[in-house]
Amino acid sequence: MVESHADAASTEVVPVVQPPTPRRQKARAPRAPRAPRPAPQGVGAVVATTSTMVTLVCVWAVLQLLVLSGVAHDREQALLYADFRVQLAETTAPLGPEIAAGAPVAILEIPAIGVEEVVVEGTASGDLLDGPGHLRGTPLPGQRGFSVVMGRAATYGAPFAHLGELRRGDDVEVLTSQGAKTLEVIGVRHEGDPVPAFDDPQAAVVTFVSAEGDGGWLSALTPQTTVYVDAVARESFPTPGGYGLTAPQAEQEMERDTAALPLLALWLALLVGLSVLVVLARQRWSAVLVWTVAGPAAISLAWVATDTGMRLLPNLL
Amino acid sequence: MSDHLSRVRTALGLAAAIAVVGIGLVVPASGPAAAVPDARTEAGTAQRAASSAYSATKTLSRVFVDDQGVPVPQASYDVTVEADQTRNLRGRQRIRISWSGAQPSGGRAATPYGEKGLAQEYPVVIMQCRGVDDASLPLARQLRPETCWTASVAQRSQLLRSEGESTWRRDLYASEADKQALVGTAGLEADECPPLDVTSYNTVLTPFVTRDGTSYPACDIDSMPPEAAVDAAFPPAETAAYTDEDGNGSVSFEVRSDVENESLGCNDKVACSIVVIPIVGLSCQQQATPPTIDDLACRRLGQFPQGSSNAIGAGIDLAVGPGLWWSESNWRNRFTIPVTFGLPPDTCDVLDPRAPTGFYGTELLAQAGLQWSPAYCLNTSRFKFQLNQMSDVAGFRLMESGAGPAAVVSSQQDGGDTPVGYAPTAVTGFAIGYEVDRPKNAGELQNLRLNARLLAKLLSQSYLASDLGRGHPGIGDNPLAIMNDPEFIKLNPGLSDITQEAGATVLSLSNDSDVIHQLTEYIAQDKDATAFLKGTADPWGMRVNPSYKGIDVPRSEWPLLDTYIPETQNTCRKENPSVYFSQVAAPVTTLRKISDALLDAWPNVQTKCDLDAATLKYKVGRVDRQSYGSRFMLGVVSLGDAARYGIKTASLQTRKNKYVGPTDAALTRAVVLSAQKKPRLPFVLDQADVVRDGNAYPGTMVVYTAALLRGLDAETAAKVAQFVRVSTTEGQRRGSGNGQLPAGYLPIKKQGPTGKLFRSAQVVADAIEAQTPAPGPKGEDPAPPPPAAPSSDLPTSDPVVDAPVADAPPAAAPTAAPATVAPVLDVEAAPVAATASEKSGTAGRLLPLLLLAAIVGGLVRLGSRFFVRPPRSLS
Repeated sequence: MVESHADAASTEVVPVVQPPTPRRQKARAPRAPRAPRPAPQGVGAVVATTSTMVTLVCVWAVLQLLVLSGVAHDREQALLYADFRVQLAETTAPLGPEIAAGAPVAILEIPAIGVEEVVVEGTASGDLLDGPGHLRGTPLPGQRGFSVVMGRAATYGAPFAHLGELRRGDDVEVLTSQGAKTLEVIGVRHEGDPVPAFDDPQAAVVTFVSAEGDGGWLSALTPQTTVYVDAVARESFPTPGGYGLTAPQAEQEMERDTAALPLLALWLALLVGLSVLVVLARQRWSAVLVWTVAGPAAISLAWVATDTGMRLLPNLL
Repeated sequence: MSDHLSRVRTALGLAAAIAVVGIGLVVPASGPAAAVPDARTEAGTAQRAASSAYSATKTLSRVFVDDQGVPVPQASYDVTVEADQTRNLRGRQRIRISWSGAQPSGGRAATPYGEKGLAQEYPVVIMQCRGVDDASLPLARQLRPETCWTASVAQRSQLLRSEGESTWRRDLYASEADKQALVGTAGLEADECPPLDVTSYNTVLTPFVTRDGTSYPACDIDSMPPEAAVDAAFPPAETAAYTDEDGNGSVSFEVRSDVENESLGCNDKVACSIVVIPIVGLSCQQQATPPTIDDLACRRLGQFPQGSSNAIGAGIDLAVGPGLWWSESNWRNRFTIPVTFGLPPDTCDVLDPRAPTGFYGTELLAQAGLQWSPAYCLNTSRFKFQLNQMSDVAGFRLMESGAGPAAVVSSQQDGGDTPVGYAPTAVTGFAIGYEVDRPKNAGELQNLRLNARLLAKLLSQSYLASDLGRGHPGIGDNPLAIMNDPEFIKLNPGLSDITQEAGATVLSLSNDSDVIHQLTEYIAQDKDATAFLKGTADPWGMRVNPSYKGIDVPRSEWPLLDTYIPETQNTCRKENPSVYFSQVAAPVTTLRKISDALLDAWPNVQTKCDLDAATLKYKVGRVDRQSYGSRFMLGVVSLGDAARYGIKTASLQTRKNKYVGPTDAALTRAVVLSAQKKPRLPFVLDQADVVRDGNAYPGTMVVYTAALLRGLDAETAAKVAQFVRVSTTEGQRRGSGNGQLPAGYLPIKKQGPTGKLFRSAQVVADAIEAQTPAPGPKGEDPAPPPPAAPSSDLPTSDPVVDAPVADAPPAAAPTAAPATVAPVLDVEAAPVAATASEKSGTAGRLLPLLLLAAIVGGLVRLGSRFFVRPPRSLS
């Protein structure tokens, strides 16, 4: 294929509107008299290109974080739900303490703030892309002891965006392979609030963790401080033995997962490669042709690169 | 030529002769001297020895009566036996027993304890017996072979022995009744024992009589006391110890109270003794003509040369073995060391009906608390003191919330706004305890040296432990265990380099503790150790486990971070995939458990595979006890436990080539170096100062009684103040009695280097009693509250780790409110800590910045379109 076009490549650099098809000619006919603007040069070219790129990247990032990631999250939830309901039916759903990161472990419903999510194992930034995550090293929600569930506050569906609006007495329902359990919210804790002491050794305590803004007009987009909500059930399911491992640093709240760096480098390198290919291809074929082929690839690469880059950002964002 | 050769030969011969004489001169001098500097010279041994030591000398001889009836002395020894402490002993305490002048032993067994020590010749039998060695007492209180504890039948009884094995029937000193074919079977029920009355076979039973008078005939495994069951909870303590070729020997003998061994039944009221019988061989009665097989067997002198080993348990000459310790020839050679036991740990619960006042906190105070509490509960003018052990921070939280009157901690804790006073109560610390044998039966290693980098290697799981670890990414070329590490070999030459999994780890604590904090602080001050943890290879090319690379030190809790699961064809491991290095490290929750593991030389390494026959499933469990002669185990212990149980402690490097053990002088030196920033606050010991000084022990820790200075009710405040005053005066007298300070603690005195601790304690005691926050509460607030606590990211994460674990602290706060009635939602009444939230600027600013950048970029793009682009050429 490349060889067959070798002659064409050697002839001339093809201008954008050069190969006029009959249909296109008709469409362009009214504007035909206007000569094209000459390409900018020097500083102007740099400024124009840079600003284009910055705008593109930022608009894409905002678009994906706020809109597209929600779609991805919904899709993951649908898959996880399908997966988990089968496990529940077959009673093969995990009980702990050692569960593979990313596996569904519970279904969480908080009617007061409209949360209905499948909880996954692990709270690293990458795990929380799929939904709320259960902190490894703690019992599952509903089991005796102190469990921790974290969720994102602004992006990827923002399951815990309204966590701070919970009130004492609100119900939290968790469903695991051991059964359903309704917990009662004790209250929301911010910086400096007293941590309640739990006397009852039989209680199941779940602490929900997310982030919140400072209350200003962009509050929903600036989740910078962690917020905690404790919920407790007086009766609990038994906890299997073997707990005691501490979750790695990357899974603590507001931590980032630097393990994603090499992968991100790979995606970015592929993006650069794609750009080079597009530039080269444009010298031979029309823009429509090139972008039809390269467009989906570029969008998917940008998508996964943003997803991977997201793992480098604080996990509660 | 031959002239020359012969001259060389003469010269060599002369040199050899001089060398032999030289060695002869040196060895007797070095023999006893070597026994004196004991690595266990803990704080206080010397003084204790003066008050309760034992020493006695006896002449032991072996006599054969020839066929004419003339006694012919065979051998005679002047044996001296010494013991370092005999009074107020506690269960499992180990006392040092040493002897000199005995017949050198032969055929050393792999394990000298219990039944396994029987196949040795000329050993020294040491056991614990009930009673006093005084023939004038009633029989029930007398010491007899029937009251001496052994864990197996073979140690007590000779069953159905043929003629050539029945040497005791030719015993010169035994009574006629004891020389019959059947001895000790009188009064036996028919079904109690298997048939023993078999022609031409001889039997002697030495029944065991328990404290309450029950007699166990000891003729088979079912007729032994319950504590002698196979795999009993405690391994046998009685031992057939080895005497070296100079006639010297020593052992750490573990005593058992009635808590551990109820049949034996030794306690503070029942007198007991330790019986030491150096075996010199049976004395034999007049020989028949011609001599019978028994006559000849009785006169045997042993098969094994002095100093040899008998690891395979080959047969020995019974006449010189330990199995006949009860025969009159041997029994009359006994040394009886009378011992007394201290009050049992539950004395206060039994004798004092008052409700206890619990102090919560560090385990470092455990041994002192054991001796101190009777001095409170048996004195009606004092309160009933009870020490409940838990992590420092948990104890402190209980104290802050009012659930406990006072906490015992060993460093300053982050707290709330209420001022807290810290009163110095005891000077002690931690040590790296060890149980290491030198190769070739050369005895226990008496001085182990460690440095900060070796500890960092052990803690960071950088040794591979076994071939299973070789596949670990990044560190596949590291040594398997510390005994293969050139750095360790350089410090401790002459040890066996046979790898043991237990040599890849130091048994440590899994939970939060000031001990771990100080240990890691010691590592953190050392440049080499820090560099190692950050990823620099040591001079021999060993690298840190990548899971621990860059770990923050100091820290008060050491996590298990490794995640490597070995790939192997082993069925058991395939069925039970687990993190190998975590199984090797397997930290425990209390220092006492580490002491017990060291006492039994039983590493907590959880890598042994067992096939459960019932289910045909594999399970993974704790490895076996290490065998005597090749033990190697390290663990973090408290100095109190180390001194009580006779656990040897390692010297830690301070300056270059300077290694310091936990001696009185080194502890004192560390106290001198510690400084107090503000009144009523703890003294801080900077590890950098310790290393610079060179003579101070890095593991020195001061235990403080911490109590609120505001808001405590008068009664509680008075109790705490009383405790501080009593424990810093009366409680600082050394000794093993009630209220005294046990070994392993440095006394706090009014004068001298510890004077500053004493004065500080009195000031704090006054402040606690007064309960007046004298100056402004803000200025005196001892806790500078850094909102970002070092390691506790999540305030609720402490209970997260503790709660599901089975052995959570027993007497924790929940006693305050009965669990069944307490409505769950009332829990907010007792807040224990403030929420410390995490902040992230990135998370807060990312989206606004992206939006801003998009808008700015778009504007610039538009602007450039209108202003920067050159106009269209007008064609």
